[in-house]
Amino acid sequence: MKWAHKDLIGIQELTAGEIGHILDMASSFKEISKRDIKKVPTLRGKTVVLLFYEASTRTRLSFEIAAKRLSADTTALSQAGSSFSKGETIMDAASNVMAMAPDCIVIRYPHAGIPRKMAELLPCSVINAGDGYHEHPTQALLDMYSLKERFGSLKGLNVAIVGDIMHSRVARSNVYGLTRMGARVTLVAPKTLLPPGVETWNARVSTELDPVIPSADAVMMLRVQMERLNERFFPDIREYSTFYGLNRKRVEAMKDGAVIMHPGPMNRGVEITHDAADSARSIILDQVENGVAIRMTLLYLSLGGAANVD
Amino acid sequence: MREKAISQREIRDLLNELATKLMQDIASWEDVVFIGVRSGGVLVARNIVKLIEERAGKRIPLGTLDIGLYRDDLSKRLFYPEVRRTDIPFSVEGKRVVLIDDVLNTGRSVRAAIDHIVDLGRPRRIYLMVLFDRGGRELPIQPDFVGRQVDIPEEKVLKLEAGKDETTIRDVILSGVKK
Repeated sequence: MKWAHKDLIGIQELTAGEIGHILDMASSFKEISKRDIKKVPTLRGKTVVLLFYEASTRTRLSFEIAAKRLSADTTALSQAGSSFSKGETIMDAASNVMAMAPDCIVIRYPHAGIPRKMAELLPCSVINAGDGYHEHPTQALLDMYSLKERFGSLKGLNVAIVGDIMHSRVARSNVYGLTRMGARVTLVAPKTLLPPGVETWNARVSTELDPVIPSADAVMMLRVQMERLNERFFPDIREYSTFYGLNRKRVEAMKDGAVIMHPGPMNRGVEITHDAADSARSIILDQVENGVAIRMTLLYLSLGGAANVD
Repeated sequence: MREKAISQREIRDLLNELATKLMQDIASWEDVVFIGVRSGGVLVARNIVKLIEERAGKRIPLGTLDIGLYRDDLSKRLFYPEVRRTDIPFSVEGKRVVLIDDVLNTGRSVRAAIDHIVDLGRPRRIYLMVLFDRGGRELPIQPDFVGRQVDIPEEKVLKLEAGKDETTIRDVILSGVKK
């Protein structure tokens, strides 16, 4: 299959065939991370700039390790310690970075739409590492890869995504991707954390967690964004945990072979208890491991795509 | 335009001769492993390993190598090649490696394959075996075992086709346009 994209902005723009292609290819890249010498010369001489305008540990580290394992040179800039905080507009910052001729920019931004705008403006590849409440495509791809690795196929899987759906780009990207690959998604959240228009999403919606648990092949817990506590989306943490947290009782109600996922960072004791996070069902660390392989795949495809050559 | 370059019988003879040459040079099989380069090399390697196993009465480890990530022409290609899996289910450290490809031409694939192998460990020695050597080298690489030297025009492609069992070499095809 020929990869016809210069950029990766969202799962929404990928076909099932393209997603399948990425997931297949990722296992070749995963093998590299298991070697003693975890490096191939493929992207030698390419420059990847990581622009992170929002806090990130996992995603940034994962992209950086992925690029380095492919021999690309990486430079990471974050808000603190850069002139991002001096009032320069994002598009000016992007043009300035572009003047230094990177081959790929990986960007995370607190508001939706900036990665796409950048992709339109700049000749280099742009990969979205999360923009506002829009999309986080590499997270959804690593989630799909982890599920496929466990179950062999995504077709017919029941996936429950639980928590702050309204503010979650992970949920949006996963709904697009999983349903496109033939899985069924159920979104579980209190009414206050469901986005307006959720009924038009290709997913079932439940405001109760317990009835959803027994039929789920995977339960994906979303982080409670503590910074939103003052915004009164729910009365208090304890009540949220009681109704929507994954605890031992709920883990025991899961069916044989069902798995627990979390995109991180976890708030232990809030949306997930220690028992659940560390249970044998948890594939949370597989998700992190697979993230590197997925990002290697996307860097390879984006930098080797047709749009990159003309 | 495509034509068969060689008959079934000739393929069988070539494989048998290669196995015989190899057995003369390599007396003990204790530390020997085989690695085929995807995809034509793997096909040749499966056949050679089968013959050696029959004659030596011993299991021979066989791995497959995908050199896509090690090519030196990545920046010149319109599209990066599809990456398939390297699958070497053994350590190459201290081993004698018989590296097998189907057609040797510029030597660039072999260079890539050697670079890939040394990233996996440090073999004691690497032998190179090819079914066809069509000359045209651009790098100082010479095979240790050659099935047949062939003289074909530069613009033509020589390619093996696998049978349904993924082991039989169904045909060796000479086609008109070099991709």
